Amino acid sequence: MNVWQLVKVHRGAALVLALLSLSASLLLAALPRGYERAYDDAVHGMLGDVSVQVTDLGVTGRPIAPQALLTRPADFENRYEEIAKGLPAQLRRVVVPLGQGTSHFAAKTTGTPLSDRVDGPRRNNQYVDFSWLPGAASRVKWVKGRPPGASSALPRLPGRPDLKDLTVIEIGLVAEVVDEMGLDVGATLLLGNSYPVVAEVTGLYELTDAADPYWEHNGEVTRVVERPIPHSTDNEWLTSGLISDDGLAKLDQRREVSYWWIFGVDRARVAAATAPAMIAEVNDYQRFLGELSGGALGSPLDLHYELLTGLNRVLGDFLVVLRTAETLLYLLLGGLAVVSLGVLALAVQLLTERMRSGLSLVRARGASLAQVVRAGVGVVALAVLPAALAGYGLSYLVPGPSTPLAHVVPVVLTVATLLFATGRLAVAHRRPLKDSRSDLVSARPSPRRIALESLVVLLGVGGAYLMRTRGVASEAQELGVDPFLVLAPAGLALAAGILTLRLYPLPLKLFTRLAGRRPGAVPFLGLTLAARSRGGAALPVLILLPALAVSVFGALVSGAIGDTQSRAAWRDVGAQARIERAAEIPEDVVARVEALPGVTSVLRAGKGNVQVGIGGMRATVLSIDLKDYRELVDGSPLTVPDPPRGLGVPALVSTTLVPYKEIEVGWHTRMTIRNMGRLDELPGLSFPGENLIVMPFDGPKRAGLRTYTNILLVDGDVDRATLERTVGLADAEIETYASALADVQDTPLTGAVTVAFTVATLAMGVYALIAVIVALVIGAADRAKALSFLRTLGLSQQQARTLTVLEVAPLIVLTAVAGLALGLVLPLVIGPGLDLSSFAGLAVTDFPLTFTTPALLAAALTAVSILGAFAHATAGRRVTTALRVGESS
Amino acid sequence: MTTLSDLEAQATRRAPAFGEHAHILCDNLVRIYKTEGVEVVALQGLDLLIEKGELIAVVGASGSGKSTLLNVLSGLDVPTAGLARVAGMDLLSMTAKDRLRYRRSVVGFIWQQTARNLLPYLTARENVLLPMKLAGKKVTPGRADGLLDLLGVADCAPRRPGQMSGGEQQRVAIAVALANSPEVILADEPTGELDSDTSEEVFGALRRANRELGVTAVIVTHDPLVSEQVDRTVGIRDGRTSSETLRRTSEDGDVIAEEYAVLDRVGRLQLPRDFMNALEMERRVRLELERDHIGVWPAGAGEENGE
Repeated sequence: MNVWQLVKVHRGAALVLALLSLSASLLLAALPRGYERAYDDAVHGMLGDVSVQVTDLGVTGRPIAPQALLTRPADFENRYEEIAKGLPAQLRRVVVPLGQGTSHFAAKTTGTPLSDRVDGPRRNNQYVDFSWLPGAASRVKWVKGRPPGASSALPRLPGRPDLKDLTVIEIGLVAEVVDEMGLDVGATLLLGNSYPVVAEVTGLYELTDAADPYWEHNGEVTRVVERPIPHSTDNEWLTSGLISDDGLAKLDQRREVSYWWIFGVDRARVAAATAPAMIAEVNDYQRFLGELSGGALGSPLDLHYELLTGLNRVLGDFLVVLRTAETLLYLLLGGLAVVSLGVLALAVQLLTERMRSGLSLVRARGASLAQVVRAGVGVVALAVLPAALAGYGLSYLVPGPSTPLAHVVPVVLTVATLLFATGRLAVAHRRPLKDSRSDLVSARPSPRRIALESLVVLLGVGGAYLMRTRGVASEAQELGVDPFLVLAPAGLALAAGILTLRLYPLPLKLFTRLAGRRPGAVPFLGLTLAARSRGGAALPVLILLPALAVSVFGALVSGAIGDTQSRAAWRDVGAQARIERAAEIPEDVVARVEALPGVTSVLRAGKGNVQVGIGGMRATVLSIDLKDYRELVDGSPLTVPDPPRGLGVPALVSTTLVPYKEIEVGWHTRMTIRNMGRLDELPGLSFPGENLIVMPFDGPKRAGLRTYTNILLVDGDVDRATLERTVGLADAEIETYASALADVQDTPLTGAVTVAFTVATLAMGVYALIAVIVALVIGAADRAKALSFLRTLGLSQQQARTLTVLEVAPLIVLTAVAGLALGLVLPLVIGPGLDLSSFAGLAVTDFPLTFTTPALLAAALTAVSILGAFAHATAGRRVTTALRVGESS
Repeated sequence: MTTLSDLEAQATRRAPAFGEHAHILCDNLVRIYKTEGVEVVALQGLDLLIEKGELIAVVGASGSGKSTLLNVLSGLDVPTAGLARVAGMDLLSMTAKDRLRYRRSVVGFIWQQTARNLLPYLTARENVLLPMKLAGKKVTPGRADGLLDLLGVADCAPRRPGQMSGGEQQRVAIAVALANSPEVILADEPTGELDSDTSEEVFGALRRANRELGVTAVIVTHDPLVSEQVDRTVGIRDGRTSSETLRRTSEDGDVIAEEYAVLDRVGRLQLPRDFMNALEMERRVRLELERDHIGVWPAGAGEENGE
């Protein structure tokens, strides 16, 4: 049989199949790519948020033997070769070569005190270290003096007869030492208490580019660090000077010297998919360095190497977030795959039904089963294969790295489609002319089938129950997605599908009985037709149900994430906008803010951190009018308690302070507040866990002073930039709800999840519509026969249309209800296993059972499907003519 | 002395069986369709013998089992019990492979619906060539054209079914059925959808194929035009052969039709319903053997006779 000719004859159905195959393979190949890109963006974002010092691989070597001193640049290069050899594959891939990016080597001393100054008086508590940074030469410009040069010897030091034959090392210092440490060009420093060395400052430099990540590794040479000395009121100052190659040769074991080899990591080359491997490799590399230090690898036993990096920790944190995102996306992808497979199966059914009569004739005329199946599958393959290939090819237009999933899913889908076609054709044409006796009663499902279906339902429900009780057993740190999390919903969907299929005639029988009592024949006939469970109904149900369930679930998850994001932003800010300052906010600023367009009200509040007169506790004290505040945040998720009332200074206090009736605090003045009730936190204004005292805004005034304002809570529509401009105080902290919300929303993974839900919901809606229409087209011939028979009995064209819609509508409506229910149940099942906090900024504690969006989704899908049925009934061929004598019905 | 091998030979040697040399043999054929505990007995012990090269018509009311018989004979359906043999092939014990070979080279058939016989997107010639291709035979377009010519539709060769009249389509269908030179062709109401002139043409084509190619032809029909022109008409009632009408041409050119009741191997006989009604025969009858015939009396009448 000529397969091509068959395709040409059934080009309509073949085209439908081809288009579906193209879209399915495009979607299912493109989505993983998109996801992977979002994952990569997310990992780059997370790596970008931290210093290169954390993400680069730093290897330190400390000499453990005198001969281990590295005195020439060539020594460092040799060692670099040696330690780079052990870099595992993935790490090697992301590391940039020596001299590029942040890859470099260095020698540094630490903790070298400035013990004396040869040229004049010294200041106390100063430390000046040596840094040999061959890469620094091109990154600094000398603003005074000259770069350090060769070292020299000093036979004796004037005024210090105890010191002889000292080494003089020339150093260059960062320019700010002049102000910070009183050092300048020409200063001669005696460094180190025992075995001191002389350092002569030959020049001062500034950084050509302070933002160069190179300096993040070598911060000590870029600035003077001033820090308090522990257990003392004094400060100490630390800096480090650059020395020349010749200076390096003079750094001996008497200095606390360590050698550094930094392997710069190119963050753009880090792929989310390789993160688990990279974490393992960091550990491997650490082990390698340990072996190298121990001489196990034949290396000289002179340096103790150690790996210093936070790469594994950052990637580990990322994986926790990724796992949740992956779970959600796999869930969507799985749902989409099932739905598209269902639609493809329907289209195959359409095509094979169209070919049926021809193939039956051919089979009866002496074609073997193999010949018939070969021809039929050939047609399906001709429609599916090029289309799937084209879809797969088109998916390369979607930016993003290709993942195994992107290759595997289209192949699986195509193979499954062809297998379904094979099975269907084989069953349909196993016996030639099987339809020769269509007058017999259709068989009831066999006991074996009922048992199988019961088993599936039991497994689905049992799995969901287990999921609910067990939660997710695997630790968040564990790499990869919990397969159970993905399988349980699929099982549940299948169970729901089977239950719907088996049970939907039951409510219909009731309606049929009701319709039977009413005068119109069409509703009764339509419902009766609908209640006749036919095999053709299975596929649309199995498509519609998961489509709606996943969409509803997606809407709920998106809703929960959105709600929690909003709550997190509210908790963060405490109002639409908050202006906070340590000092008082001047009246004119308040007036300017109040006058801003869009600002509807401004609430003043005071805040301070005070010592409570009980056991040296500290507490945050707030003066705010809770009644006004409640009005200000009305309609937000924040709840504000009733204001404290009473004489004196009434206040609400946190749990630890509750036992005390009166509390003495020193805020602006010494005042006694009266405990009027409990309040543990006021989001946005206090941190949870700290002691809190909330008094009326005029609390200080009641205590005999005046009111103080250092917080403004603003209601209204105003953006952060405008507020910053208006306030004009550099030390004021300005936070708006919108910016806080944007912070939690604008992460690549959140975006990916939201987009994925939208795409999947749309795609599934379209598929559901196609499924209904294709199912109708498949049954069109049978329906036409039934209708033409009814037409002879006097059914009008309009009634015939209504009948068609009524015939499919109950199944669609009932399936939509089942899908809606499943979608609403899914969060209960999966919720405990999903950690959405990384998307929401807060732990997502509950999924608010909002019916609006899901119900709208269900209604829309139902309406679209029924409209599809109506369109088919209206635009379909006019087959609904009356029977003529001699025609068989 | 009888040896063991003699006994074996004796065991394997059968006495000449019922209709052993018939081209088509049905002996006590039963076909039961069964679903949901409901049984439809379509054939209930049907006997039929057809000689090679014969052209017979099978007639019977709707639901009498004609189509089931034809499906069994064409190898599309398997009988529940009994014996069915066509051209020496036992239809009950055939494997799927045998069945396929049987359909490819032993039988050819024609359905009632003209449109169902031919693939609408192939030309007449391609339709005739299709069974040859399916059987893996060497495709000879000459043979296809020859067949179409024999059946008087040579001019239809390049046309598709949609471009032909019903009669032409049926004649092409006969050519398709004959494509692989079968020994038997089976036709299920081939003229059912045609007017009488066209029916004549189609029946003519069938008869030509029967005479010129020597192929055995079994035609299920309601059409008196067909059933009255064949040499033998077999009537089926309630799943059994009930009557046979033989036709011969008398010396003066008239066609004489004689109707017989069918007597099966074990002696069962179906009396025509109107005979039974006329004499109010019910449940039991009385038989009497005469010298050259058997008398059948209603039960009551016999008792009266006895008094």
